[in-house]
Amino acid sequence: MSELLGTFSDGFARRALLEAVMVGGLCGVIGVHVLLRRLPFFTMALGHATFPGVVLAALLGVNLFLGATLFGAIVVLVVALLGARERVDETSAIGVTLSGAFALGVLLLSAQDGFSRDLAAYLVGSIVTVQRGDLLTTAVAGTAVLTVLALLHKELVFGAFDRAGLAALGYPVLALDVALLLLVEVTLVTSIPAVGTILAVALIVAPAAAARLWTERLGATMALAAALGAASGVAGLAISQHWRVAAGATIVLVAAGLFAVSLVAAPRHGLLARLRTRRHRGTAAPRPTDRAAATPATR
Amino acid sequence: MTDLLIEPFRLPYMQRALLEVLLLGVLAGAVGVFVVLRRLAFVSDALTHTVFPGVVIAHLLDRSLLLGALAFGVLTAVLLTAIGANRRVGADATLAILLTSFFSLGVVLVSRTSTYTADLTVFLFGRVLAVDRADLLQTLALAAVVLGTLWALRKELVLRAFDPDGAAAMGYRTALLDLVLNLLIALVVVAAVKAVGTVLVVALIVVPAAAARLVADRVATTTVLSCLLGALGGWVGLAVSYVVSVDHGVRLAAGATIVVVLVVLFALAAAAAPVRRRLTARAAPR
Repeated sequence: MSELLGTFSDGFARRALLEAVMVGGLCGVIGVHVLLRRLPFFTMALGHATFPGVVLAALLGVNLFLGATLFGAIVVLVVALLGARERVDETSAIGVTLSGAFALGVLLLSAQDGFSRDLAAYLVGSIVTVQRGDLLTTAVAGTAVLTVLALLHKELVFGAFDRAGLAALGYPVLALDVALLLLVEVTLVTSIPAVGTILAVALIVAPAAAARLWTERLGATMALAAALGAASGVAGLAISQHWRVAAGATIVLVAAGLFAVSLVAAPRHGLLARLRTRRHRGTAAPRPTDRAAATPATR
Repeated sequence: MTDLLIEPFRLPYMQRALLEVLLLGVLAGAVGVFVVLRRLAFVSDALTHTVFPGVVIAHLLDRSLLLGALAFGVLTAVLLTAIGANRRVGADATLAILLTSFFSLGVVLVSRTSTYTADLTVFLFGRVLAVDRADLLQTLALAAVVLGTLWALRKELVLRAFDPDGAAAMGYRTALLDLVLNLLIALVVVAAVKAVGTVLVVALIVVPAAAARLVADRVATTTVLSCLLGALGGWVGLAVSYVVSVDHGVRLAAGATIVVVLVVLFALAAAAAPVRRRLTARAAPR
């Protein structure tokens, strides 16, 4: 273990470590909201869709975060408009937008020199090359996202479980939806330098899904998800440094590994616990509280 | 126009590439109709990513890419069903986690090779101009298997898409049908991986079918139209990428150009759909 941690003695490794902890924690918290509202596919699409924005920004020499955020916002609009048509269901709308935006990014990049190297960095991240500026951006964006989440916590959670009820109480439901989507987008864009556009969704979904298996309470889920996300970042980074494999992908594999462990070993919802109760009761009767307490209204 | 659409294909490697994208367009277009009908766009996106480590492992071991991809396709289908059954997790979270972790496995494996980024780019985006005779034959064989299966099971698959409870009540094994459809998607990914890469296959599958569904009502018409659109997109995309790259000196990746052309076709279909609806409404007043 000390040998693994010893790889963090260099300056660049220390920066990478800090970035991994911050991104992992941030993604874990927002991930709980993403799961509550069943947004994983949308997050995936958004990750792909910010890609041409990043490329365009790099070509034009403007801020990468700005380009990605703007392009992502356009994509959110296109998905909403396409999904509103009667013959295009939302999944297909996301599928078309996702692949179209992604191809556009590849096309733009292919017209440049040094095609494959840059492309790989955008897609799967390059955490060991994060700069001081990236760290600062992550810290500022992370603080902003977490602050907004804390301020709107009650409304967002209420909206996830009972959207009609929130609207009936006079809250601006649509504005809250858009706010949450924007928060997801900012989180995604912030994680691009570390894990890349394709894999950022893993850091958002996997720790939150794992945490949901361990605890029923929302606050505890968020804290646990943040801890799991940060732990995935640190462990993934150490393993990748030690065995010289891609860092972003290793972080994702660690996060998925933690999820797999939770899936088997979690106290109430895990595989082992289920087998035990089934044997104990002699039947496979579902627990009545299970579904009712934990399922938000589908949007 | 002929300059654009015929002229580039005088070279033998361009002819092979054209044949390959035409085959793939028809193949992906046909499977895509069922993907769109069943709203499986996320599943096919996941399959294109999860098959990736299989392709990498097969490549590293110097075995058939087909076997590697097939093994991971089956593994995904099984895991998807097993983990998705845990209600605390849910199907979409399962998909997202499987997709990204399998994909990461592929990236980690590729990152062990010395030509990391170049290899990764080929796996992800394909190299349609490097398609050879053996690849064409393999695509042809896969197309025959996939299209044959679709034809044989068309009645059952359509029933499953529109009335799952009815299909189950009539004694069809719906889980088996789902597995077959997932495997067919995996086969399309395998067929397309060398030409357009794993990331853009999902566009070949979803976009032509979604476009065809906008302007056609019957399943048979939609399927034919989807195949034609897929083939047309491949042809025009390849031609545009060649002409722009060679005559105008701006390199455009062939696979990505094909997808952008397909999305343009989809946009045209989306614009045409309301017009067509008004015309049919006038022809048959109710």
